[in-house]
Amino acid sequence: MRIWRFLLRRLFQVGISFFIILSLLFFLLRLSPGDPYSKYIDSDMTTQEVEIIKSQMGLDRPLWAQYLIYLKNFIKGDMGISFYYGKPVGEVIRGKVFNTILLFTTSVIFSALVGIFLGKIAAWKRGSLLDSFLTFSSLVTHTLFLPWLGLLLIWLLGYKLELFPLSSMYTPEIWLDPEISFLRKLLDVLHHMFLPFLTLFLLHFGSYLLLMRNSMIGVLKEDYILTAKAKGLEDKDIINKHAVPNASLPVITSVGLSLAFSINGGALTETVFSWPGLGRELVVAVSQNDYPLAQAAFLLIAIVVLLANLLVDLLYAYLDPRIRYE
Amino acid sequence: MNNAIKEGKGPISEAWKLFKESNLGKTGLVILLFFALMAILSFIPPLIDPMYHPLKGVDPSISVSTPPSLRHWLGTDFMGRDILSQLLAGARVAFVVGISSALMSIILGTLLGMIAGYWGRIVDTLIMRAADIIMVLPTLLVILVLAALFKGLSIWSIVIIIAIFRWPGVSRVIRAQTLSLKNRPFVDAARAVGAGHMRILFRHIMPNVVPLAFLYMTFRVTSAIVIEAALAFLGFGDPTTVSWGMMLQWVWKTGHMFKAPYWLLPPGICISLITLSFYLIGRAMEQVLDPRLRRDWEG
Repeated sequence: MRIWRFLLRRLFQVGISFFIILSLLFFLLRLSPGDPYSKYIDSDMTTQEVEIIKSQMGLDRPLWAQYLIYLKNFIKGDMGISFYYGKPVGEVIRGKVFNTILLFTTSVIFSALVGIFLGKIAAWKRGSLLDSFLTFSSLVTHTLFLPWLGLLLIWLLGYKLELFPLSSMYTPEIWLDPEISFLRKLLDVLHHMFLPFLTLFLLHFGSYLLLMRNSMIGVLKEDYILTAKAKGLEDKDIINKHAVPNASLPVITSVGLSLAFSINGGALTETVFSWPGLGRELVVAVSQNDYPLAQAAFLLIAIVVLLANLLVDLLYAYLDPRIRYE
Repeated sequence: MNNAIKEGKGPISEAWKLFKESNLGKTGLVILLFFALMAILSFIPPLIDPMYHPLKGVDPSISVSTPPSLRHWLGTDFMGRDILSQLLAGARVAFVVGISSALMSIILGTLLGMIAGYWGRIVDTLIMRAADIIMVLPTLLVILVLAALFKGLSIWSIVIIIAIFRWPGVSRVIRAQTLSLKNRPFVDAARAVGAGHMRILFRHIMPNVVPLAFLYMTFRVTSAIVIEAALAFLGFGDPTTVSWGMMLQWVWKTGHMFKAPYWLLPPGICISLITLSFYLIGRAMEQVLDPRLRRDWEG
């Protein structure tokens, strides 16, 4: 029962945070220099389209009325029409959410798992050559400049060695051909996904490794580890059953805290690799002054971040029973 | 929290002695000094010949990107500008952006953290809720949206906005520290002799939390440098400054990334190395200030 109350309270907080972000965005759009009309109205639009937008957004009404209309439109899922695509923003963005989540979650989860695994080894073999190597390489990969790493990988593995495609998410010829099996199409996507995935993975696993190593070293000094040793348990059991569950808690918290950082990285990776996701859509929309699209992409990213944070919190509460009873 | 500093005859020399024990910290410092040297040297090339000006100087005999030569040690970019002078100027920009933005964010974080911890109640709730929201937002993307709204940001607006989005981490720590300080006897004593809130905050609490705030500075420097570089890379940097991110954008956007490794490699190496150096120094400082971490990092 308590976990439900915990979930409800956190959901409520997420709702409030999102409402604040939504409102701030509205006022920022209105307060920034230049009149609000020009931002929602593209010079290519016909007068008829302009009229529709004006009445839809209530641009001739007072600010508070516009704000209410903005909220109403958002709840109805009506975020305006993209200047660039000439389609409703919702339609443009819907297809991108999955692509972002696919690339993002696989790389974050995989790098956290590898980080925890290697961090465990580094802590257990503390002071060895392997430990120094792991620690040093995590420090170096973790501080690489992400877009540059992406470009390097494209240059080396994509262009020079021709192992992977240079950009995009799938080969149109394969996907448009109805004769080709679905498995083949899936493999095609994975083939395209490898380089962006590798970029994000290389950048992220290091911080998890360092954190896990440190937390493991702390845990290994605890009395209950000594007890486990005194009971005559094998090393393998001491590490995996007694030390790792406790030591991974801070790593999971940090997954939550570094989500914003990872989302930044996700957007950069998507842009460098032309991966058709939300982050790239935001970058492109911003550079084309496509306000409705930029706004919607940003809000959707905010929702993804807030919900992902909630998920991490829940996972944490599940793994650490003390949290649930606070 | 730090015995070495409390006992010490000279706290700084004590801290330095501890810092020196960390090989990674020393490595970071050496790399950093190298970049500082680069930043200082950046003033020289334009004095030798106007064509070495990083932004406006164009070699009259060159109109495409050329590989390294005697005249241009690292080659030239797509319009015949010298890559080495750009790289040197980039070091200066990185320092200015990183340090000024980090300073602003720790000042903001310290003030807000102290106020939240000291006043408590509604002020605390408001500040910490705001911190929670800002913390989950991806700074780079927020600045992107702002850049679109305000039609191109100058380097100083970028610095200030980065600072505004990087205070929550600092303020959380400072708040916790303030909470533990505000009921200590020396604060009670100050209150008993009639010190006002301002005096207690700035004369009694602040000196005790500032060292902690500075620990967070190095990590803020790295994030500011990286965010500015990423923003410039995406094409939203200040067009009047030459940063390393801007150089990478030029390589990328002009389609030289497969043709000109001499142009692609240096800026990326520089951004990555300067980040690494501040990161290593931050780690080493953490060990100096927190004895529990000592000798745990390097085994």
